[in-house]
Amino acid sequence: MKELAGRLTALDPDAGAAVQVISYFDHLAEARAGLETLVRGAAVLAGCPARLVDGGRRVRVRVEPDGTRKDVDGVPDSAWPSAALEPGGVPALWLERPEGEPSVVDAVILERAAGAVRLVLDRTRGRAPASLADDPALVETLLDATVPQDARLHAARLLGVDPTDPAVRVRALAPSDGRPRLLTAGAELPLGRVGVGPAVPVLDLPRSWAEAHTALRFTADGTAQDPGPRVIYADELGGIALLAGLIAPGDDPPADVHAIEAAAAALPWLLATLNAVAATASQRGAAAEINVHHSTLQDRLTQAEHLLGWPVRTPQGRLRLQLALTMRHLARP
Amino acid sequence: MTLVPPPFDPELAAALELIKDVISPGLTMDDITAMREGMGIQMLAELDLTVGGFFELDERTVPGPQDAPDISLFIARPTAEAVGTRPVFYHVHGGGMVIGDNKTGVTAALDWAKELDAIVVSVEYRLAPEHPHPAPIEDVYAGLVWTAEHAAELGGDAERIVIAGASAGGGLTAALGLLTRDRKGPRPIGQVLMCPMLDDRNDTPSAHQMAGLGVWDRTANDTGWTALLGELRGGPDVSPYASPARADDLADLPPTFVDVGSAETFRDEAVAYASRIWQAGGVAELHVWPGGFHGYDGFAPQAAMSQSTGAARLNWLRRLIGE
Repeated sequence: MKELAGRLTALDPDAGAAVQVISYFDHLAEARAGLETLVRGAAVLAGCPARLVDGGRRVRVRVEPDGTRKDVDGVPDSAWPSAALEPGGVPALWLERPEGEPSVVDAVILERAAGAVRLVLDRTRGRAPASLADDPALVETLLDATVPQDARLHAARLLGVDPTDPAVRVRALAPSDGRPRLLTAGAELPLGRVGVGPAVPVLDLPRSWAEAHTALRFTADGTAQDPGPRVIYADELGGIALLAGLIAPGDDPPADVHAIEAAAAALPWLLATLNAVAATASQRGAAAEINVHHSTLQDRLTQAEHLLGWPVRTPQGRLRLQLALTMRHLARP
Repeated sequence: MTLVPPPFDPELAAALELIKDVISPGLTMDDITAMREGMGIQMLAELDLTVGGFFELDERTVPGPQDAPDISLFIARPTAEAVGTRPVFYHVHGGGMVIGDNKTGVTAALDWAKELDAIVVSVEYRLAPEHPHPAPIEDVYAGLVWTAEHAAELGGDAERIVIAGASAGGGLTAALGLLTRDRKGPRPIGQVLMCPMLDDRNDTPSAHQMAGLGVWDRTANDTGWTALLGELRGGPDVSPYASPARADDLADLPPTFVDVGSAETFRDEAVAYASRIWQAGGVAELHVWPGGFHGYDGFAPQAAMSQSTGAARLNWLRRLIGE
């Protein structure tokens, strides 16, 4: 009697589809289905590949709309519809929907699938962390210098780190979501802005955390409004890190920063252009970075220098620009 | 006797819930006409049976059984040039003996043929209740005879015919295996019985357990068998060529692949058939997929267990054909 009725295929985005999506994931959750089954459900119902990436928990699942598992490397496209696993969290579940083909049930699929995924992760990886970054309480214990050493060593063992192995080095991570994490060899960085502390022995993690937290202040969103690197390694800052002690978050920044903000309000391309000049080895490299012709870049810089009041193409002027852009991030509340 | 049914596989259960509006466990005689005109036909119209141009398709009218109308064979041949002759999958469609045509469910056989560079021949047989036993099996047999005799003309190898079917098609395939053995007709090199409908008595523990559940329950099964056999159903005089579970002798059958879900009416009769082949000294491979409802791999082909089910079949065929 098979093939008499419809197959389970991508839903028509009509009125009944949302109800069916909710029912489908409710049944899977009730039956305690696993992650791949949930991601497959999203892919099949949406009719496009679905991807789950939780770097902290080392989870990476991608399923094609025909139901076959096909993991790929690479970063999810920010244009794809996505959902976080926790309110305010970073995106973790994507529908690889080409732009211009949105489906009204995508949001329902993402919300229901993400909710079911969170339950599975809490159940299977919450209590018995599979990786270092899983248990916030243990991680915080390790990062807190006021906690007695014995307690910190105990927390390390619970997190699967052997503190007696002299070769073990761990980095503290300070992501922009505020939840501290650890990074061991081979693990993935969380998405979004993140400061990375130096690799240290277990008992030095409070220092790594402090430096990671400082490094986070130097990061940018990597957008046109906030150009710059999303990931900053504390041990690559060197003496620049001292600037963080001069400007506290939320401080009124120095006049050069005000000059940049005022110029940026007048010229929408200004921040990306100045960042390219500050961050690349040559002006030709800067032009390529922002996809403009060399002569266009020169025109823009002439305009920018006029508004800023200082040259940005001399070595001294370039340092002043780099400092101003850096202090702009440090003054962020 | 306890009547606790085995649970459905979680992923399949969720899928079943989605399709429950279009498929219900039971089927009565009154439902047959509606089902014949229902969704199946629309679904088929949307399928690309050339599989992206891999196959060229043909529909041949060939002689039926003696004193009976001609039958129609759906033939799919790879368009690429053959290296030697190709194996032939002779497909018998499902549909509870009462519905379907020679394109129903043929995609499974097309998938194998694409993987293994083979030809598919799918037979159209007269349907019950208008055409009770032996009309369906005689049509199926006539199609096999024609296929064996004309295999070379199709580029196929008459010595490498595999017969295959799902559900009622699986039952007819098993019956075909018995009939061609006894008539000394063409000798297939293997038979694939997918969730086969084998036993008109409809009285196994699984038939009772799954009443009212899943797809094709005991009521539906009673409808199908009664359509085929009328008042003979369940009685002492049923032919094994109608109901293969009735055969006394399962020796000298070709190597047999049997699969079935644990949560369907046909579970116990499928398991018993494989066991009896072994007991008769034959070769069989049996897969019982836990929590599978009837035809799950057709309704929810994306599910993990459907993928495993398809892979197991292909794996067996690959070993059989000896690639």
